[in-house]
Amino acid sequence: MSTEAAIERRRTGRLSHFLGQNVGLVLALAMLVMAVVLYCAVYWVEQAALPGMFELTSTVNNTMSLVLCGMGQAFVVVTRGLDLSVGGVMDLANALAAVHIKDTVGSMVGWSLIILAIGAALGLVNGLLVAIGRLQPILVTLATLSIYQGLAIRVLPQPGGSIPPVYSSVLVNPNGPSALVYVLVVALIWYAFRRSSLGVAIFALGNDEQAARANGIDTVRAQVAAFTLSGLMSGAAGLFLAATATAGDATTGNGFTLSSIVAVVLGGMNLFGGRGSGIGVIAGAFVTTMIVNILFFSNIDPLYQSFYEGLFLVIAVVLGALISRLMRRRS
Amino acid sequence: MSAGPSATSGPIAPAIEGIKLSKAFGGVQALAGASFSASRGEVHALVGENGAGKSTLIKILGGRLRPDAGQVRLAGANVQIASPDAAHGHGVWTVFQELTLLPWMTVAENLLIRREPRGTLRLIDRARMAEQADAVLAGLGIHHIDPRALVEDLSLAQRQIVEIVRVIVQDPDVLLLDEPTSSLGENEVKWLFGLIRDLRRGNKCIIFTSHRWNEITDVADRITIFRNGGELGTFAEIDETRAVTLMTGQQVDAFYPERPPLEAARPLLQVRGLTGPGVSELSLTLRAGEILGVGGLAGHGHRELFFSLFGAAPISGGEILVNGRRVRISSPRDAIGLGIALVPEDRKTEGLILPMSVGTNLTLAILPQLSALGIISRNREGRAARNMVSKLKIRTPGLRNPVQQLSGGNQQKVLLARWLLADSHILLLYDVTRGVDVATKHEIYELMTSLVREGRGVLFYSSDAEELAHLSHRVLVMREGHVAAELEGPGITAEDIVSAAVREATSLVD
Amino acid sequence: MTGRFTRREALGLGAAGLLGAGAAGGVLLSPRLASAAPEKKFKIALSNSFIGNKWRIEMENVFKAALQMEPFKSQVEGSWFNSGNDVSKQSQQISNLIAKKVDAIVVNAASPTGLNGILTQASERGILVVSFDNVVTAPSALKVNTDQVAFGRQLAEFLVKKLNGKGNVIMVTGVAGTTVDEDRNKGADAVWAQHPDIKVVNRYTGMWDSATAERNTASILPSLPQIDGIWCQGGTDGVLKAFISAKRPLPPTAGEAENGFRKFMLGYMDHKVDGLSIGQPPFLSVISLELARRILDKKYPKKDITIPFPFVTNDTVKQGETVFEKLPDSFFTDFTDSGPNATVKLCVEAATDGKPCPGELNVNLPSA
Repeated sequence: MSTEAAIERRRTGRLSHFLGQNVGLVLALAMLVMAVVLYCAVYWVEQAALPGMFELTSTVNNTMSLVLCGMGQAFVVVTRGLDLSVGGVMDLANALAAVHIKDTVGSMVGWSLIILAIGAALGLVNGLLVAIGRLQPILVTLATLSIYQGLAIRVLPQPGGSIPPVYSSVLVNPNGPSALVYVLVVALIWYAFRRSSLGVAIFALGNDEQAARANGIDTVRAQVAAFTLSGLMSGAAGLFLAATATAGDATTGNGFTLSSIVAVVLGGMNLFGGRGSGIGVIAGAFVTTMIVNILFFSNIDPLYQSFYEGLFLVIAVVLGALISRLMRRRS
Repeated sequence: MSAGPSATSGPIAPAIEGIKLSKAFGGVQALAGASFSASRGEVHALVGENGAGKSTLIKILGGRLRPDAGQVRLAGANVQIASPDAAHGHGVWTVFQELTLLPWMTVAENLLIRREPRGTLRLIDRARMAEQADAVLAGLGIHHIDPRALVEDLSLAQRQIVEIVRVIVQDPDVLLLDEPTSSLGENEVKWLFGLIRDLRRGNKCIIFTSHRWNEITDVADRITIFRNGGELGTFAEIDETRAVTLMTGQQVDAFYPERPPLEAARPLLQVRGLTGPGVSELSLTLRAGEILGVGGLAGHGHRELFFSLFGAAPISGGEILVNGRRVRISSPRDAIGLGIALVPEDRKTEGLILPMSVGTNLTLAILPQLSALGIISRNREGRAARNMVSKLKIRTPGLRNPVQQLSGGNQQKVLLARWLLADSHILLLYDVTRGVDVATKHEIYELMTSLVREGRGVLFYSSDAEELAHLSHRVLVMREGHVAAELEGPGITAEDIVSAAVREATSLVD
Repeated sequence: MTGRFTRREALGLGAAGLLGAGAAGGVLLSPRLASAAPEKKFKIALSNSFIGNKWRIEMENVFKAALQMEPFKSQVEGSWFNSGNDVSKQSQQISNLIAKKVDAIVVNAASPTGLNGILTQASERGILVVSFDNVVTAPSALKVNTDQVAFGRQLAEFLVKKLNGKGNVIMVTGVAGTTVDEDRNKGADAVWAQHPDIKVVNRYTGMWDSATAERNTASILPSLPQIDGIWCQGGTDGVLKAFISAKRPLPPTAGEAENGFRKFMLGYMDHKVDGLSIGQPPFLSVISLELARRILDKKYPKKDITIPFPFVTNDTVKQGETVFEKLPDSFFTDFTDSGPNATVKLCVEAATDGKPCPGELNVNLPSA
């Protein structure tokens, strides 16, 4: 740790910097590759063929909602917070979409924008309560989760409503993996976020709130913005969920609160804030779907499926932590 | 930010003045009508005990705190400095004691935060950012900090340097530094003072605080001494004993207490051929009643030696004897069981549990003795803790206050007291006085001598050669993980230690 | 957790269900499978959502048992999957079933609407979709279920008869906001409306869970007058236990098919209750399996099925057949129908362990 030692230290190359500083992302991508390979292997054993277009399409379509709300969760996790209201926002977006979106271009575009705005507004409420009310994110969002769920039930008391087929096919085309475009868009959003003033502010806040403030960063604004972004992404996730189902159900979003956290963790983000990559979260979301696929084709007794899913998660998280610790020690 | 002297108020107006500044926190008057001024082209040192008001003054001047009363003047004009940004607008920049770096961001991101170079679509151009940061660092003669490295991966000293650089690149007219050297090694201090002298030549005003007297006299043009929230005067020349007397308000006969005579030569701790990461074939003997100093240039295995003796760093070879018996120390638990205690320099990460109370921290190591059936007796805990607080003169508002509210020196004392409660007789003190104010330093010195008088042994590493020379019975000078020289006798001087370290270093090059 | 939180129903919707395009069956099987299996079997998969309560476990057990019995043993290659209450996961599992090119998917859905997208895709690819219990609204899916309005009505009518049209009744309802709960209450309310002398003195939820029903009953009971009849959607044994703890006599009770309730009908622990026990039969999965088999075999038209509820009264309840002293109170004893016109008859091992019963399995679907 001394000067002499420091002077002797050679500059490391860009690649090794990237690997050393993005251990979580690298591991998430490696995990995704391994999961895909394993999936192809069990699929081959079972079907004597490799997965094709249909499998790719359904995997992407079924994962889109998680990609979106996982990314939303990521914005909040970076600030060292947690947004438990993700599922509630999705429920409300889902319900509103099923009730209001009609088969005209105006309705589809108009209501999509309105629902996204509502999602952002719900996130804004969370953010204001947390940042200005100085309340714990978990408490605030646990409360608003119930409130948003309640609102969703009011909008759509019984599962039903409908989503115009055109709308569904634009978002989650069943005949081809065109939703990959949206995955790319989400990745680009993260890329731009990371290189924006807002991104710097939110990351700085997650690094050390005091230090961020000492650097002249408006930490209140950053925190509110993070929650607003989360609400916006969750709203989009709700739209995709409705489009996949082709109808509404004001409760199907509930599970996404937990799934989004799982995706964030598998994506190698640090729950203590300030570290991690949204690209990893996208990978993490796909890994969760891959786990479902792998277990499906490996003929595991369905009674034990959730056991194995949990086991897989624990192993992934523990291995990830161990490897990243080793890598950091070496660097 | 305008360079050059102000034209409106005449050339004689000081660059920065504080007039009758007061600031209270709750019931504590941190500053009580303190005044002071510093001019362009001057290096001005603020000295005083912790709590004397220096840091509060710096925070007020830097816009981090607003005074309850009093006035700040810049170049003769009254100003309100409501925020750090406002201070920056006036060309006043501060390097704070507590670091304001973002640990999981790169050096470049930290240096250029909120001023990042933009590329297409106004997005931050990371490649250019690294290049700019590299240029800034190189321009200031820093070649060993990689702009692409995470701050987390830097040493404490490197972080402090980045902190300083971040402010220097803003081209401040008035530069405030709150204990900038407390985490720097000798080379870095030399670099910083070079920088400060350059700034002085550039007609800037530099104000800094420090607890290291030789540094203060080395670089400061004038010194203002603080006590109890007020200034006691500004001096161009003052000797250390007088300064300490002023700071503490007590007549100090001798800054360094008399070494107790070393009688029985019973060895407490013997180390033979100790080898591990950073330590090779190291042998030493610590006797009862002895302060055994360990010195040498930073980074030559001192830390590793101390931590491996405490079981907190691995050992690959050699043997350790305690009271003449061979022992195995593979964890701090083993060490504590053998009566070995470590007080490290970095209090925040090792030893103390900052958010917990003084009382709990004091009694942490002896909880089993204070408990019956696993339930802690609060009464006995309180009694034991109160004894130590008065014996070691720990300055704390109460036993229930969190340790983090205490000053650095008092935190050190809490840690030391914990080990005394645990009845440790081999004390490993690793640079415990770094960043500690003079008065508390003095108390720690007295404590050390009284401890060895009780028959304990102290292994004492310090980055301050002066300290080692005055307190130690013997001094071991380390080089490359082993003992390169042993100095003995009451006549050891700081120069002896430094020259032994350097001689060894150069002889190796030959 | 014996509540059936996921069971919702939307029977009113879509009576059609004859949308299925293209003939199902061998045409769609891959050549590899056709050549590999000399005697072609129908591939029928069960996609279940939640598996966290006894009812769902029994439902899956009788499905497994049926697969090991003739005629299914030789005609059907069956499989089953659970996804939990996660729509995306169930949707992904059904995608995998499509990829596996099964002939039919029997589904108990996590959401009545959430799977419509993927199930429609399955139908478009020529896969027969039969939904049951928590049925889906997708028009292309066939629905197999019971009539929940009739459930509530039958329970109420029993009490009216027992009380001769006069007396105080409590209603223990289910999980609010679900269609099943609403339909059952609706059926009961229609009966009460015709008998003004029956007074519903209190109405509270038991969450379809014995423990909750017992707790809620115990807290409300001291404030209630004499109760002449209990109408209970679920958690019936819990309600009765609360009555016993409060030292109240057990009035005539119309309730669900919990084993504990039926034990009291037999006079369990010296407490005997006059009761009617009706349940949502777990063998809906077997009915759906049979429907799928017959349609694939082209021996039955593609149409929705509503089956009558299996029920027992004090006269018909029988140890070892519709009540089991050795099994826990929370066991659902309606795993089998009984009587001469039974839809299907299963043995207890089928429900508890998924083991086949001796002999062939005959399922009486309503005549085509």
